[in-house]
Amino acid sequence: MNKKILVSIFSVFTCIALFTTGGSFANSLKLDVKEHVLKNGLKLLMLEKHDVPIVCVRINYKVGSVDERPGITGVSHLFEHMMFKGTKIFGTRAYAAEKPLLEKEEDLVIKLSDERGRGEAADKKKIESFEKELGEVRKKLRDLVVKDEVFSLYLRHGASGLNAATSTDGTYYFCDLPANKLELWAFIEADRMKNLVLREFYSERDVVMEERRLRTENSPMGLLVEQLNAVSFIAHPYRWPTIGWRSDIQHITKAETEEYFKRYYAPNNAVIVMVGDFRPDEAIPLVEKYFGDIPAQPAPPMVKTVEPEQKGERRVEIEFESNPYLAISYHIPAIGHPDLYALDILGSLLSEGRTSRLYKSLIEDKRIAVMAHAYNGIGKYPDTFTFIAVPRAPHTVAEIETAFYEEIEKLKKTPPTDWEVQKIKNQLEADFIRGLNSASGLANEIGQFEVLSDWRYINTFMDKLAQVTAEDVMRVANKYLSKSNRTVATLVKKENNHKTKEARGTDASVKPAMTY
Amino acid sequence: MNKKRNFTFLIACIACVFSLIYFTNLYAQPQGHERVVTPPAEKLESEGAKMVSGLKFKPLDFTPPKVERLTLENGMIIYLLEDHDLPLFHVTARIRTGAVYEPPEKAGLASLAGYVMRSGGTVSMPADKMNEELEFMAASVETSIDRESGSASLSVLKKDIDKGLKIFADVIRNPAFPEDKIKMRKDEVIESIRRENDNPSQIAHREFRRILYDSKHPYSRKVDGTLETIGKISRDDVVSFHRKYFHPNNIILGISGDFQKDEIIRKLNALFTGWNKEDVRFPEVPKVENRFEKSVYYVYKDINQANVMMGHLGIQRRSPDYFPVMVMNFILGGGSFTARIPGRIRSDEGLAYSAHSAFQTARDLGIFFVACQTKLESTNRAISIALEELEKIRQTPVNHEELAQAKETFMNQFIFRFTTGASIVAQKIDIEYEGLPLNYLETYLENVQAVTQEDIQRVARKYLHPDKIKILVVGDREKFDKPLDNFGKVNVIELP
Repeated sequence: MNKKILVSIFSVFTCIALFTTGGSFANSLKLDVKEHVLKNGLKLLMLEKHDVPIVCVRINYKVGSVDERPGITGVSHLFEHMMFKGTKIFGTRAYAAEKPLLEKEEDLVIKLSDERGRGEAADKKKIESFEKELGEVRKKLRDLVVKDEVFSLYLRHGASGLNAATSTDGTYYFCDLPANKLELWAFIEADRMKNLVLREFYSERDVVMEERRLRTENSPMGLLVEQLNAVSFIAHPYRWPTIGWRSDIQHITKAETEEYFKRYYAPNNAVIVMVGDFRPDEAIPLVEKYFGDIPAQPAPPMVKTVEPEQKGERRVEIEFESNPYLAISYHIPAIGHPDLYALDILGSLLSEGRTSRLYKSLIEDKRIAVMAHAYNGIGKYPDTFTFIAVPRAPHTVAEIETAFYEEIEKLKKTPPTDWEVQKIKNQLEADFIRGLNSASGLANEIGQFEVLSDWRYINTFMDKLAQVTAEDVMRVANKYLSKSNRTVATLVKKENNHKTKEARGTDASVKPAMTY
Repeated sequence: MNKKRNFTFLIACIACVFSLIYFTNLYAQPQGHERVVTPPAEKLESEGAKMVSGLKFKPLDFTPPKVERLTLENGMIIYLLEDHDLPLFHVTARIRTGAVYEPPEKAGLASLAGYVMRSGGTVSMPADKMNEELEFMAASVETSIDRESGSASLSVLKKDIDKGLKIFADVIRNPAFPEDKIKMRKDEVIESIRRENDNPSQIAHREFRRILYDSKHPYSRKVDGTLETIGKISRDDVVSFHRKYFHPNNIILGISGDFQKDEIIRKLNALFTGWNKEDVRFPEVPKVENRFEKSVYYVYKDINQANVMMGHLGIQRRSPDYFPVMVMNFILGGGSFTARIPGRIRSDEGLAYSAHSAFQTARDLGIFFVACQTKLESTNRAISIALEELEKIRQTPVNHEELAQAKETFMNQFIFRFTTGASIVAQKIDIEYEGLPLNYLETYLENVQAVTQEDIQRVARKYLHPDKIKILVVGDREKFDKPLDNFGKVNVIELP
């Protein structure tokens, strides 16, 4: 699932430890989550953990890039950024003065864009005058802004792990607080749901463009994954990147963003998760007090497009100034399908730890790769099971591809050993126990599964996993890892660097200290 | 389901942006209850802030658990914290060693030894068997050696403590260092060095270190080594490096989780029988010369976003100015959106997703830097803003609000340094290893609280040198908004 949390308000390594378990502990290792649903449909999930006086709160909205359309791809993520720009009462010295200026700004932006859109026929004088006026309006607006006030307030009150993230399926807002500050959170978050103001919209859109340059356009792995998804899916919206296509980010309008907010940021489309040192009998009235008066909205539509069955292998090659990478994806079913449990075990069997198949074969024995992973991507809609590898020179992506298929073929003919399956079950069980140490991790987990389907997925996971047999693993390998169901993406070094040495400049060359 | 971590790792090859200020050993201890200094209402500018200031918060009631410290007969220092909530057991060790002690012509030796200690198995247990045993019981033993310290860890379920401890002790005492596993690791490191130039930010970090420190100083090197030096490392070098530093009196061990103190001490003494104190002679590490000189460097890469690093030498971890510097940097560029550099470069002008400043401390003088990535067409603009902000914080005292924001953030966040037993023990070990006062946590809040506006300006003037800064840019200068030589004579670094 983290595969899809590609983009966040700023980059920190959010370690989202998804946990599971199986076997002997199965009955005792369940989360005692209490549920409360407000009249307006807002769901509150609570898990008490009293060892340290902190409370980890999440508010997640069931909307992601899957709910977008061409032309506004990336709007979910852009909106996530906008949520930190304040409301009618936060982030502004005087909203009454700001409002007409914001309207004026928008009017000028549209006029400018229209005039520029006329290309050769555009009136340069008009453009100049619009630009000048826009500059003046923005200067006035800047004087009214209290910079990043929501963020500052949270920090000042001791919030930690403050961030947000967007995936294909959901949008997540993270906040860990000292336990006595729960009311601060309720106050700010309810206000964000009710009174958001899209201020500093255009500069933030530029920030998101920089994020795209950083994560995708100048990153071999980012490019590879973007192209892989774009080719794996021909119909379903999983085909576009969560951060959005370049041209869409550059042109999303404020009006489109506002419409999106109204439709999706409704209480009945949100879930609140609290884990930590609090009492439900105190938390429920608090949430009722602040969120209770927000009206429900019509339920947003589900995605109707179904990815048609793949009718043959697809291949895509990306040329980039970098060493080679390889990725292969296979279509699998959505969350709720029973085969996903065996696919989870298959993923672990292939690449979890030094005793895994891919590690032993590709990295340790053949030594053709320095990284080789298999990953079961669970989505709200049918997603993919993906292989990724970094070859070791002079070995090629073609050699890795062959080695991947050899490992897959073995699994199709012979079931994994009992030792292998038991090892994985032991690890998933231990992961569950270790996960209980972290209130923050538990809050992420509960919130993410609730966005995908239902948080109870966590509590039934161990039992489901215990039932998976070695034969099941062989069966799902045969069912899903077939040639006609796969897409292969390779990233190869771009030939002929077009720049001459002169263009790079050699005025005062410093030699590199080492041979690279 | 556990597989879902992979892609985060793959995609997140980006510098840890705002968290850089919180170095691992930056923590403190709330004493009974937190102190929140709520600013007077008339200073609050927004209606929302005024309303929030009216909220009443109960004091936070928390006493951090007491960590016990003792010394074994063989000289090993032990920190212990029992935590019986979950059937888990965790050991973490710091070994006084590091890449600073390896000969320059064999750069990469310490790191290689730190890796193969574990990956190569032990004299009595081959690697394959060790991997199988550990992974079947869902346990892990890992080792590594960094620039200025070595570490080893064990994580195991309570029911397997004995088996886990036995392997852990065996790995640190009797690693086998088989020739083949050394070769395998060298090949992996060589591949990662080959790939460094694929990633603009890796180029920037590597070259920045190289231009900052004198080439003779070990701080100028990468701990991985180079293609040339890795070729020169023999198995004998690896074996002797380990033998030289891994003695009980050179190790601090931390234990947390579901155990009984007396029993665990008995077990440790049994495991370490015959492992005695030995004098360790550390090679002399030259002092970093405190020298500042303006220079501009450029690396060409065919990308559409410039990767900028600028800065100079910073401070030692044990600097008496550590606290004011930390608070100053929070205001300057470390405190996420509330800080000045990201505030202007990112929030005001939309020029970058990530823009921040940091002091990376070390035993000797560390690095101060500002980093940002911006489209080629705004490269000079972003650099100019950062330079203006460095100058401004030197010239003008920070305002009361900014200082309060920074101090309260540090103080109110302290509770998060105590969320698990393992993290508390790890902090205690770090404090002792770094040579900080053992009551560091107990005095932390006072130290933050004591920082004044005058301190901020004093340390800004003392430790920030915008006129003698080094600027490094990776990108394509043909598309920059203004010529890079506006900042000084440009030295071009050629990549092969």
